Amino acid sequence: MKISYNWLREYVSLAQSPAEVADMLTMSGLEVDDVVEATPIPASVVIGEVESVSRHPNADRLTVCKVDVGGDTPLQIVCGAPNVAGGQRVPVAMVGTTLELPDREDPSRRQPVTIRRSKIRGEESEGMICAEDELGLSDDHSGIMVLEADAPIGQPLADYLEARGGGSDATLDVAVTPNRPDAFSHIGVARDLAALIQQPLRIPGVDLPGGSGEAANQVRVEIDAPDGCHRYVAMVVRGVRIAESPAWLQRRLTAVGLRPRNNVVDVTNYVMYECGQPLHAFDYDEIAGSTIRVRFAEPGEEVTTLDSKKRALPDRTLLICDANRPVAIAGVMGGENSEVTESTTSVLIESAYFDPTTIRRTAKKLGLQTDASYRFERGVDSAGQLWAAARAAALIAEVAGGEIVEGAVDAHPVQPEPTIVSVRPDSIERILGVAIPGDDAVRLLEAIGFQVKRDGEVLRCEVPTFRPDVEREVDVIEEIARLHGYDSIPEPAVMRLPSTHIPRGRAIDLVRDRIRNVLRGAGYREVFTNSLVSRDTADRFLEPELSFMESGSVVPTLNPISQEMAALRPSLLPGILEVLEHNGNRGARQLRMFETGRVFRGGVSRETLVEGYHEEEALLLVCSGLRKESTWYQSEEELDFFDLKGVVEVLLSRLQLSDVRIEPVYESTSLTDYHVRISVGETLLGIAGRLQGEIAEAHDLDEGVYFAELSVDRIADRTALVDLHQYSAVSRHPSVERDLAFVLDARQEVGPVIDAVKEASKDLLRRVRPFDLYTGPGVPEGRKSVAFALVFGADRTLTDEEVDQRVRDVVATVRERFKADLRA
Amino acid sequence: MTTDVSTREVVSDLRRQVEDASLQTADEIERFRVDFLGRKSGRITNLFKTVSTIPPDQRREFGQEVNALKQLAEARLEEAEALLAERTKVDQAQALDLTLPGRLAVEPGRLHPLTSTLDDIRRVFERCGFSVAEGPEIEDDWHNFTALNFPPDHPARDMQDTFFLEPPDSDRGGVVLRTHTSPVQIRVMKQNPPPIRVIVPGRVYRNESISYKSFCLFHQVEGLYVDKHVTFADLKHVLKVFARAIFGDDVRMRFRPSYFPFTEPSAEVDIWWQRPGQDGRWMEILGCGMVDPNVLTAVDVDPSVYSGYAFGMGVERIAMIRHGIDDIRMFYENDVRFLDQFDS
Repeated sequence: MKISYNWLREYVSLAQSPAEVADMLTMSGLEVDDVVEATPIPASVVIGEVESVSRHPNADRLTVCKVDVGGDTPLQIVCGAPNVAGGQRVPVAMVGTTLELPDREDPSRRQPVTIRRSKIRGEESEGMICAEDELGLSDDHSGIMVLEADAPIGQPLADYLEARGGGSDATLDVAVTPNRPDAFSHIGVARDLAALIQQPLRIPGVDLPGGSGEAANQVRVEIDAPDGCHRYVAMVVRGVRIAESPAWLQRRLTAVGLRPRNNVVDVTNYVMYECGQPLHAFDYDEIAGSTIRVRFAEPGEEVTTLDSKKRALPDRTLLICDANRPVAIAGVMGGENSEVTESTTSVLIESAYFDPTTIRRTAKKLGLQTDASYRFERGVDSAGQLWAAARAAALIAEVAGGEIVEGAVDAHPVQPEPTIVSVRPDSIERILGVAIPGDDAVRLLEAIGFQVKRDGEVLRCEVPTFRPDVEREVDVIEEIARLHGYDSIPEPAVMRLPSTHIPRGRAIDLVRDRIRNVLRGAGYREVFTNSLVSRDTADRFLEPELSFMESGSVVPTLNPISQEMAALRPSLLPGILEVLEHNGNRGARQLRMFETGRVFRGGVSRETLVEGYHEEEALLLVCSGLRKESTWYQSEEELDFFDLKGVVEVLLSRLQLSDVRIEPVYESTSLTDYHVRISVGETLLGIAGRLQGEIAEAHDLDEGVYFAELSVDRIADRTALVDLHQYSAVSRHPSVERDLAFVLDARQEVGPVIDAVKEASKDLLRRVRPFDLYTGPGVPEGRKSVAFALVFGADRTLTDEEVDQRVRDVVATVRERFKADLRA
Repeated sequence: MTTDVSTREVVSDLRRQVEDASLQTADEIERFRVDFLGRKSGRITNLFKTVSTIPPDQRREFGQEVNALKQLAEARLEEAEALLAERTKVDQAQALDLTLPGRLAVEPGRLHPLTSTLDDIRRVFERCGFSVAEGPEIEDDWHNFTALNFPPDHPARDMQDTFFLEPPDSDRGGVVLRTHTSPVQIRVMKQNPPPIRVIVPGRVYRNESISYKSFCLFHQVEGLYVDKHVTFADLKHVLKVFARAIFGDDVRMRFRPSYFPFTEPSAEVDIWWQRPGQDGRWMEILGCGMVDPNVLTAVDVDPSVYSGYAFGMGVERIAMIRHGIDDIRMFYENDVRFLDQFDS
């Protein structure tokens, strides 16, 4: 909300600059996002009187004016404004003045221009008559600025405006939090400031009308919906003349970003920005039966609002009606049928308290947020209606002429109960950690409108009606704290630590750290991708065959930003493929990436934290492209499945998982050409495989994309990283190496052969490693030769006889199980 | 007449010398050539010159022997020269050049800047005695809003600000993608009696249009300390320690009053930050406050006995401030030219 610095000064004496004021407000709870200070108006801009206006001989749109600025002779000035007229008092920039003029193409940019004596289309011009935007007073460029008729000729404009509380203003953009409805007004902001600098708050004096008076004879108010309208004050001003507002009023409104309309509407806006109470002015003569009825809308009812839009009214819309028809949507916007127009002569001022929830729902359903609805839905001062109505009536009478009809109609079916909150000093210290003496607390609270009675130690605080957010002791403590200043609360000397705290890492954190270390070392880059994917993508990558999660459905969001982000990812694969594509298209040839993050399933039956939804942390690693780039010591090589498998194997071993099983699946799935399933016991940890070529191609990738997706949660449940590791003695005895080559069926997997070798050599085998795979001359067609290096060892010196026996066992087992021949 | 014994001995002696001569270096080879085969005074050449002293009937045999010796010497010479040439070639090819780039088993990998930032944040709080807790990204209304004292009409409960999986008017008041990590406060307090001292890192979601300053998701770190006698002063203390650890010992910071439904009093914390070549300004880094009594009551903790503080910060925001990144989308684009600037 925009606050004018000059306007604030009507309610509190400020010696502080706008920037200082902004800082004080920010540090006490009203955050000022921005301060826009107008450039000061140069002293060589003075007040002049337009003596005569004649048409420019060579230009239709220009006039030649004689302007008296207090000098010996009037100045001749060529002017392009449509509203220039004889007799006006106007600001004149004298020759030599430099003004920051807005760029006509882009008015938000300004550039310095010096006014010179010149000929404009052949006519001498000795200065410039200024519009408000040219002086930085507002954005108004509709015409020159016209001052009051008594503005002293020759006086610098800046002095003139300053004396009238105007002059170069500053606009403070205040981000008002939802708990401060009182701060949506200049008086509300000034109240905080006055408290902070210990100055009195000056609220304009208003004669509050008593009783009903004559007004009751001229207006009837009937509230049929007291739960929607707690109070309705009506006043009438007769004999007004609708016109433009005086300059001071227009300036106030433009300073806070409002566009002036006419004197009556401008006053209602002015009072709203002054005290926070939204007002509405009806053309009294359009109110049938001189009756105001407040009721909820009937089904199917419609209203045409001030902006000429016909609106169908949602359920429980609160309406202001006359004897026959709706004339306004309460608290949101007035109706076109009763608005103040140029021909209006009598005005009915509405000043009401509407139920915040009712207004919020209506405004939301209508998609119509106005200055009024914004304030009503946050809660206006429940006792401020009469003051605001009287203030508006007085100002209307002042700026639009007319006479206030004596008295006011004040229908008040729901009376607010005063809120009394008791605050104990020890509670203040218990929450803030600093003792604030009772006297200080009372002073701070009273400065912002609380009435405090001391009851022994306890402070009995009556909460002002403009602070509906304050209900509890802790709310009052917050008020004390923010005025005392958060920065004035000292930090304690020591940090306390509960003795129950054991500084031990969780398994999941150890697992994540280990994963990151291993993969970083293996040349993988970590990425973060969006958890939201298109529905189509989610469906495509929900492949139950490949997932460690129990089967379930895709989880769509009801209100996606776009169709591209309409569902939660069932796998990390689609996100990371996008990353490969992005980088592949930009020339990266060694693509190794990983990500950890949650994947999601809906419609699951197992017990989860939020019933029906299952989420689990996954790890995805992917590689594609080159294993090695060509360098001075190696030539380029493409990677393959075993590059991925090697990293996965190292990872699983470093994660200290025991009994890991890796089983091949040669059949393709919707996503893979082939894969292996990785399990511990009965639990599937995940898979590693080759992406289907078409999917790779769809991402502009070469064939040969290899990926593994594993469950981090399941790994964390089974890792031995958290356990104490028991060391086993290092053998001091020599080991014995033997090589064996078998000729096997060409399709025989090597894995089971290795298992058989291990089994047959029992506890003496330390390592077995296939070191040669061969087909070709010397090996029969349909067969292959696989050579193994076996290392035997024990905690004693092995005899040749022992080793020979084990080798014979191995050969016999492999021969028998795999129809193998020992190769010579 | 038989061949002079001494001449024979000379020949066989020469053969032995030819056979045994070391021919490793170019010098040795040249010396060998001159010594044995030199045109003027090579020792084999000289033997030919002694033919006239040999009795005629033995000359043929002598000539054959000397010829064989010469061939042997030439063969050794040729072989040695070839070997030397080969070795020279290899030496040249493998000349030691210490300026060549080193050999890598694999190009190094990288951790994402959000991971590094989160790790830094986590370490600070772990050193200050906080444990780590996590919770689900899919949350129900009660944990995400109601228990955290959000009024029924709070704008965050609106479809415009929050992603819903089940609508607000459904049985459990809606299921959402959590809008903050604060629901984990509720889950932790429901499960554990005070004292509780945890941080909660995690991914959160906002239904906002995507721009340089907002993304549809980001990461938060929440902190919660509930115990007897926990005060706002304690909160200021831990956050000052945090800011100094993350932004430097001389960091200026300020606490200004703010509003959150789940804390009272509430504050936002700014640090004074200056990027190279720019004016300094206050940058908001986190929100915090004393846990609202309504929140404690919702999880059956007695607010007249216990009090607590809570804070929450955006990991992206901290990383952007620290590294001078001005577009949040960079984190999710994962361009290697971006990633390779970090963790290096």
